[in-house]
Parts: sequence; structure tokens; C-alpha cells
Amino acid sequence: MAASECWNPKAETASRDELAALQLVKLRRLCEWAAARSPWYRESFRQAGFEPEQLKTLDDLRRIPMLTRDQWMASQAEAPPFGRLPVAGPEAAIRYHTTSGTTGREPLRALDSAKDWAWQAEMWCYGLWGFGVRPADVAYVAFGYGSFIGFWGLHYGLEKIGTLNIPGGAQTTESRVKQIVNFGATVVASTPTYALRLAQEAERLGIDLADSPVERLILSGEPAGSIPQTKGLIERLWGAKAGDTAGMTEIGTIMIFECSHQPGGTHIIEDHFIEEVVDPASGEPVGYGEQGERVVTSFGRGIMPLLRYRTADLVCKVPASRCTCGRSFDLYEGGILGRVDDMKLVRGTNVYPRAVEGVVREFPMVEEFQLLLTRDAAMLDRIALRVELPPDAGDDTWPEIRDALAKALAEAHEGLRFEVERAAPGELPRFELKARRTVDQRDQPIGA
Amino acid sequence: MQPSTDLLGRPLTPVETELLDLYHRLKALLERDDLEPCARAAVRNALAALWNGVNDLALEHEQLIDLGV
Repeated sequence: MAASECWNPKAETASRDELAALQLVKLRRLCEWAAARSPWYRESFRQAGFEPEQLKTLDDLRRIPMLTRDQWMASQAEAPPFGRLPVAGPEAAIRYHTTSGTTGREPLRALDSAKDWAWQAEMWCYGLWGFGVRPADVAYVAFGYGSFIGFWGLHYGLEKIGTLNIPGGAQTTESRVKQIVNFGATVVASTPTYALRLAQEAERLGIDLADSPVERLILSGEPAGSIPQTKGLIERLWGAKAGDTAGMTEIGTIMIFECSHQPGGTHIIEDHFIEEVVDPASGEPVGYGEQGERVVTSFGRGIMPLLRYRTADLVCKVPASRCTCGRSFDLYEGGILGRVDDMKLVRGTNVYPRAVEGVVREFPMVEEFQLLLTRDAAMLDRIALRVELPPDAGDDTWPEIRDALAKALAEAHEGLRFEVERAAPGELPRFELKARRTVDQRDQPIGA
Repeated sequence: MQPSTDLLGRPLTPVETELLDLYHRLKALLERDDLEPCARAAVRNALAALWNGVNDLALEHEQLIDLGV
């Protein structure tokens, strides 16, 4: 690999032993910092009988108690608005962001100091540079620029690299498509869902994005960026390479990125994070190639230290050698596979939204879809796929698409029968941020 | 006394030595109480930016909140 393929060659090509040694040094310092300054960790460490001096090897990481989202939220409720994790109050911060709120829950609130904020852009630089973004590029950020942290770090990462950066906030989808073309963007950043929506809008406007200068799409915010069928569809519609990334408000930035070799997975930025994969039930570590829950420790954000945070993300870690790029950073095969709790049990069959999307994206005629789970009067579970076709799709095409979809879904789910229904144009919700296409109404009273 | 090795005990290269020296000088500047607001802001931003360089290269890893960074 040429050194210029890496943002930070010293770390990205370090030996695994060097990376582990660096993680241990940073872990000790982070634990000392958290123990000295964070009321939450001081108490949590005391209860667990843990002291930072106990960290002799990386295996000692397991002495540190895990942190859950519920604990964080309870702390926010007890000591509003930021809870007891922060080492300082908002007077020490320059940014205040929240989670997206797409679940309807109380948002998680996060602070960043000037250093923390600069670090978040730095993490995006690893990913942007690694996927081939360079100063000569023209980047368009299709993002709403609100209190959700989303692509803020990417925005500043692009500036840091020296890329010409076009903030695409507060725009209609039509305006964004026109700006992407008129401004000559070579890079576009959006969620996977929104990349598809932009492509649909371009088609409606008679614009062939494959003829545009766009060469790379930076995807984030949803697992779909690594679903092969979705990614393939996006790449076909745009005539460009699509690179997956993933981050979270709790760390403020991305922790994984797909490199330009597109190995079917995302590299973990291991000089800035320790990423454990554990059995969701027992909390015990699982090996390479086994699915489990991500548990993240972040060395970057100082004002809100994050140690062994249970993310509920489902992942499968594989060794760095799986990719030909030469980085020594391990990968998550298939990126973020979903959420630990998003599997649905329907008449004895496991249904994963990611798998359903993989089937649906084999049908490019489908503009939008929704998975609807209900329970009938006989208490039998019913699963329906509601799909929206382009407004000009004739009725004669529908039976063939419906039957093919039903057959493909059944084949992918041990014969489970999906009812496939056609929704009216514009009936299904559209998403700019995190798409929520699974609606489970089985706990609602019948007729509600 | 400026360290001659990085966080893993590897000898610093000449450019790493220079970066680390600059980082420490920025910290020292920010500890002064005679900086005008415009200069203080510039040094604070420079220090936040350079922290990433020395952190990425494993030259230093520390928190800067007490300096307002």
C-alpha cells in the first residue's frame, strides 16, 4: 500500500502488538482522568472495586464495568440535563448535540470541548482519506445541520483535508440534486436511504447522475451502507463508488470506515478506540467471525469519557488481513449488521430488517417500502411488505413484482409468507436521516 | 524536559520532536494571563488542532480542558 492511502500511516500500518500497547497506554490515562474527574465513573469504579492501576494488560479491560444507554439516560434524568458522566459543565464546552430522536425516546445529550470537537473531525479524516477523498475534490453534504450530530464531523473533516465543501442544509431534495450537478460535486455525503432518494429525484428531473462528476458517496447513519444489494443499487444509480462509515452521538464521530479497497467491511480506527465484541446475553467476549454486540471505549472525547459502552449494535469482527489495503486495523465484516434487539420473531421465524432490505433492493422498481407487523383477531402474527413504485408505473407491472417479491422473501425466510401490498405514490414516509421502515403494531389493541 | 521517545518508547524523529516542541510551546502560551482575546482564541484553536497531530502520532495523550481546550 502506498503511504498516501493512509491519513495516519504510523498508526494505520503499526503492528498489532504496537496498537495494543498504544491502546493500553491511552486506556490507563483515560481511566485515571475519568476516576479523578467524572462523578459517574468515580462511583462506578468504586462499586466495581476497580482502580486504574490494575490495568497491567489489555485483558484487564474487563475489570472496568460496562456502561449501558439506560444507565446514561437514568443519569441524565437524575442530574439534568447532562447527567453525571461529564467531567465539566457546559462552560467548558463549545458544542451541545443530541441523538437523532428517531426512536421517539428522550434524546441523549452530549457536550464537546474545543479539543474534542477537533478530534471528531480528525476521525472523519481517517475515513474520508481512506476512501480516496482528496483536497482536489468538491464535496456536497446532504445533511440538515441541526442538533443531531450526524455529518457535522464530516463537514469539518472535509475542510481539514482541504476539500471544497458545499453544505447542503435547508434544501429540498430537488434543490440538492441540482446543486450537486451544477456545482460539479465529486463527493456526496448522505445516508444510504437519502442517496437513493436523491437518485430517484434526479430520475424524475431527467438527470442521469451516472453522467455527473460524482465519483464517491460517503454513506453513514444506517446499516444499509454495507448491505450489498443496497450499496450495489446506489453505486449503479450514481455511477460512483459508495463507502460505508458508522458513528454514534455517544462518541461524537465515526469509529469505523470502509477503505478504497472496498473489502466488504469497515476498518476500526484502533488507535483511537477499543472495540470489543461480546455475547449480548452474557457479556463474554466472542471471537473473530462470530456475531456479537459492540462495546466501545473511546480515547477522544475528554469532557464525556466513554469506557466500555454497550452500543446494542450487532457486528462481526474479522482480522485486518481480510482486507488487501495493508492497514493493520481489524474490520467489521458487513459493517454494522443491525441492532441486537431489531430481530423480529414472526410465526417462529426470525426476521431481520437488514435481510428484508437486501431482498427488496434486488427490485429497483421499488422506490420505498415498509415492513408492517400486526396481529389478527385470532392472535396470529401477520407480516406485510408495503411497497411504493414510481408514480408512472403501470398497474400491469404490479402483479409480477408482487409475486416475485413474495417468493424471494419467503425463500429468504424459511418459507414464511409475506403479504406484499402496493402503497399509493407518496404514501410511505421518506427519510433524510435514519430510516425507520419496520413498524411493529403487534402489541396494539386490535382495531386501534 | 522534552521527551525523546513517543508513548511506546520509540525514538522521536526530527519532525516529531519539532511538532511536540511546538505543542508544548502552545500550551505554555495558553497558560499566560496577558493574551488578548483574539490571541487567546487563536492559540486555543491551534492547540486543539495540534493535539490531534501529536495524539495521532502517539507523541502525547492528555486532556486539555483545564486550559479551556
